[in-house]
Amino acid sequence: MPLLSLAVTIISMITTAEIEKLATLARIKLSEEDKASLVKEFDSILGYIDQLKKVEVSTDTEGRVGAIKNIMRPDESRQISTDDRERLLDEAPDREGDFIAVKKILQ
Amino acid sequence: MKIDLHKLTIQKAHEALKKGEYTSVQLTQAYLEQIKNKNPEINAYLKVFADAIDQAKQADTKIKNLKFNIENFPLLGIPCGIKDNILIQGHITSASSKILENYRATYDATVISKLKKEGVVFLGHTNMDEFAMGGSTENSAFGVTKNPYDTTRVAGGSSGGSAATVAMDAAVFSLGTDTGGSIRQPASFCGVVGLKPTYGAVSRYGAIAMGSSLDQIGPISQTVSDCEVVFNAIRGKDIHDGTTIDITTYASKHVSKTLGAKPVIGVPRHFLKEGIDTAVIDAFDSAIASFKQKGYEIKDIQLPNISYSLLVYYIIMPAEVSSNMARFDGVKYGLHKDGANGIQDYFETRRAGLGREVIRRILLGTYVLSSGYYDAYYNRANAVRAMIIADFQKAFSSVDLIVTPTAPSPAFKIGEKSNDPISMYLEDIFTVTANITGMPALSIPCMVGENDNKHLPIGLQLTARHGDEATLFAVGKDFLGE
Repeated sequence: MPLLSLAVTIISMITTAEIEKLATLARIKLSEEDKASLVKEFDSILGYIDQLKKVEVSTDTEGRVGAIKNIMRPDESRQISTDDRERLLDEAPDREGDFIAVKKILQ
Repeated sequence: MKIDLHKLTIQKAHEALKKGEYTSVQLTQAYLEQIKNKNPEINAYLKVFADAIDQAKQADTKIKNLKFNIENFPLLGIPCGIKDNILIQGHITSASSKILENYRATYDATVISKLKKEGVVFLGHTNMDEFAMGGSTENSAFGVTKNPYDTTRVAGGSSGGSAATVAMDAAVFSLGTDTGGSIRQPASFCGVVGLKPTYGAVSRYGAIAMGSSLDQIGPISQTVSDCEVVFNAIRGKDIHDGTTIDITTYASKHVSKTLGAKPVIGVPRHFLKEGIDTAVIDAFDSAIASFKQKGYEIKDIQLPNISYSLLVYYIIMPAEVSSNMARFDGVKYGLHKDGANGIQDYFETRRAGLGREVIRRILLGTYVLSSGYYDAYYNRANAVRAMIIADFQKAFSSVDLIVTPTAPSPAFKIGEKSNDPISMYLEDIFTVTANITGMPALSIPCMVGENDNKHLPIGLQLTARHGDEATLFAVGKDFLGE
């Protein structure tokens, strides 16, 4: 069955509001200037990748590279050395004792 | 003593160290001197390691120990450069990004552990496009890497620093990473050899991820023989990377070649008709003529869906980028910028720490993965990816290697393409296929550059079946007369 033949109609133009929505999802603050240039760049990039719609998809196989899949490991905790733990914690922008400190979430 | 570093190979340096012509400390000092002279202009290295001489001393101790069999350690005491997205414990590893500018790696990447066991000397971390996103090193937060053959031109990217350091004789070899051509294209631009191994051949543990179904670590070197030595040292299954394969994984599937018979070379002529610089086509045609002269059979092959490779790449790659980049949140490590609350901290941190191209790709990835577009873009791209893999597998039933140019042009001018994302993306047209299919590909110089700002190097790309690096090395060596 041609699983992917029902291509959704893609609007190649993108609006500032859509760019803002993507930036919110991706947790990135954008300036008005950024938004304006991104709208322009997206138009050119989306115009390009929209050519994919023209491809006749003859297979419903999922593209996958590599010869192996489903690599499992035992669900066991592994002890790391105190040195390793200290190094990891030391890279945190803010720490309190053995914890990484973040801002209060619940008010 | 004066050591001649020009185009010094692993083999030559190994012989000299073995015979005691010079020590690893002397060799390392010579390279540090070369870096001091060349790096201010080229900007291949971001950091030079203060402990390089100490590493060389350790290597010299081993070399002097008569019980130690140096023959088994071809890389002992050999100085190298490492791309700035491969972790070396205790050293700043920034991926050329502001967000990791002060990040000190907390562990060694598997390739680094392996090279440490071999006794190599790490000279420093090399420049790259931020998070490996780019084809010119112009996206580095710490300045562009210039091409040693013409400093008005780019060194290529994203592993531009790794290629330039070998080309400017400031390391015997280097490691890069390749997601869509990031080892092979700079190797082509800088006149050196670069390998993108089979997907899974080399562990990515400790490599800062970009596109996880595409990324591979690989060597950049002066010769194919050197490339092979480094590849053999870093390959292998790794418990820390579930995608790694055994040396035997693909072995049984190989079509065994008649002993002594030359591999058959396939050329997808239909894909070489437009958008390619005439200098590249000329160099490519001479390379094919040279193969014929050496007795190789050349076959014209069809890869019906190859023209969609770049489209597929520019959907799958940003999708994976947007997922991989989510970890940079200003909480666990790296830059932190304060906002009004915990959530706003993310917005401020990512805004301050990430460059334009990285943001562009995160947003594009978020777009193609968002509901309503997922089927049209990401799923469709994966289906077309399967079609492209099938095309290559079919072609490999009648040929042993597929040959194309590595890049559509020689090194371009700095700034020439930086305002035009699509034209920059088109640089990857010949290289992305190996990442899409997971097949190994090697770039070798087919036009040797000259340091006169006129004759730029041009690379030839050989692609082989999954797991068949051996054929790449054999034919590459034969072509270059090694």
